[in-house]
Amino acid sequence: MRRALFAITGLAASTTALVVLKGSPGTTQVAQNLPTAQPVNPTGQVVDPSADPAVGPTGAAPKPSVTAGAPSSSPKPTRTTARPSGTKTTAKAPSAPRTTTKPPQSTTRRVTGPPVDTAKGYGYVQVQIVVSGSKIIEATTLALPSGGESDIHSGDVRDTYNGTGGEVVQKQSANLNTVSGATETSIAYKSSLRSAIEQAF
Amino acid sequence: MPAAMIRPGLCRVEQIMGTAITLDLADDLPPARLHELADEVFAWMREVDARFSTYKEDSEVCRFDRGEVLLSEASTDLRFVLEACADLWGATDGFFDAYATGRLDPSGFVKGWAAQVASDRLLAAGAANHCVNAGGDVRVRGFSPAGEPWRIGIRHPWDAMATCLVLAGTDLAVATSGVYERGRHVLDPRRGAPAGGLRSVTVVGSDLGVADAYATAALAMGAGGIGWLDRLGDHTHAVVTDDARQFHSTALPLTV
Repeated sequence: MRRALFAITGLAASTTALVVLKGSPGTTQVAQNLPTAQPVNPTGQVVDPSADPAVGPTGAAPKPSVTAGAPSSSPKPTRTTARPSGTKTTAKAPSAPRTTTKPPQSTTRRVTGPPVDTAKGYGYVQVQIVVSGSKIIEATTLALPSGGESDIHSGDVRDTYNGTGGEVVQKQSANLNTVSGATETSIAYKSSLRSAIEQAF
Repeated sequence: MPAAMIRPGLCRVEQIMGTAITLDLADDLPPARLHELADEVFAWMREVDARFSTYKEDSEVCRFDRGEVLLSEASTDLRFVLEACADLWGATDGFFDAYATGRLDPSGFVKGWAAQVASDRLLAAGAANHCVNAGGDVRVRGFSPAGEPWRIGIRHPWDAMATCLVLAGTDLAVATSGVYERGRHVLDPRRGAPAGGLRSVTVVGSDLGVADAYATAALAMGAGGIGWLDRLGDHTHAVVTDDARQFHSTALPLTV
């Protein structure tokens, strides 16, 4: 009985590993051939900008810089996920970052990542970050899966998921006593700002 | 802020375990007693750091890993931690792995566990209203200095200065694991490669060590971690995926 359990678990694990290993290169290729092989979304953004924004929750405003960024995007797309640190479609913006209460940063730059396939047919994600020194001080999503593709995503999770969600992560803050977050290194944490915030309450 | 001046209790921050430990005592006790309690908490955290740090060559964990200390000679705390890590390895299908890096590193459990023990001791010592935050792992009990349930923000995964959800409660252990600060440091122990799919995982339960390990494990599972968390009967969760989508248990103690 126990042996059978192990066998089944092992089989499940190796199947998962196979799917995962098989999945990554395949999807990478999709991202690589993005402009030609998967014209649905990119052309939707580039050629027909008026088609999508009504559907998109963020009004995923297609920009000229997006068009420039997409074809030149990374000869070797390392990730299929929406890592903002991806490629450099840099557009230097001397202006200060918006919506921060911090003192103005001396050297900030705006970096726009390429549209990245979410690898499961859920659509494309494009993220713009504002970098100050070596820190990301703001991240904005220029494009997110929307409409039908988003529904596939949410529905896919909801089939077996009892929780709620699928919406774009929002900012919320009000009168906190403390903050839970992954802060395992001291470097970022030692920036007295956070201690100061916590000491203030 | 005058409110901060007249509030009961004591708030103290110290740098231990390579991170900031914040203790907020909200009980209206004599100042001398509050300082005594705080001293005990921070002495305990330093003791844990000295014994369990993987960065200190002479820590008990490192000596045990090198075979200089036998299991039979190990301290009660180390034996407890090793046993807990073994249990968590089983409970997480191997995704919480104290040996994921090739050597013993129980840090994914120790930080939360240490804060949990500190909180348990405070409760036993008569300080029933407090908040212990060990580098983002939070244990709250009772009420805040304002006399209300503690309000715990969950850090926004793309903005260190913002939070994305706010929880409130009088008896909560809240642990968050994310890839935003140290990069993709959490390995999928089955592939030996960095895990992908999830940006941040928060687990809420009653034991901070377990919540911490579960959050780390779910992050290592990637997208499949959402379903795994969902099937945990005794914990609630909040997850942010790499494509900036947020999922959480319906029973999560959210507030506005």
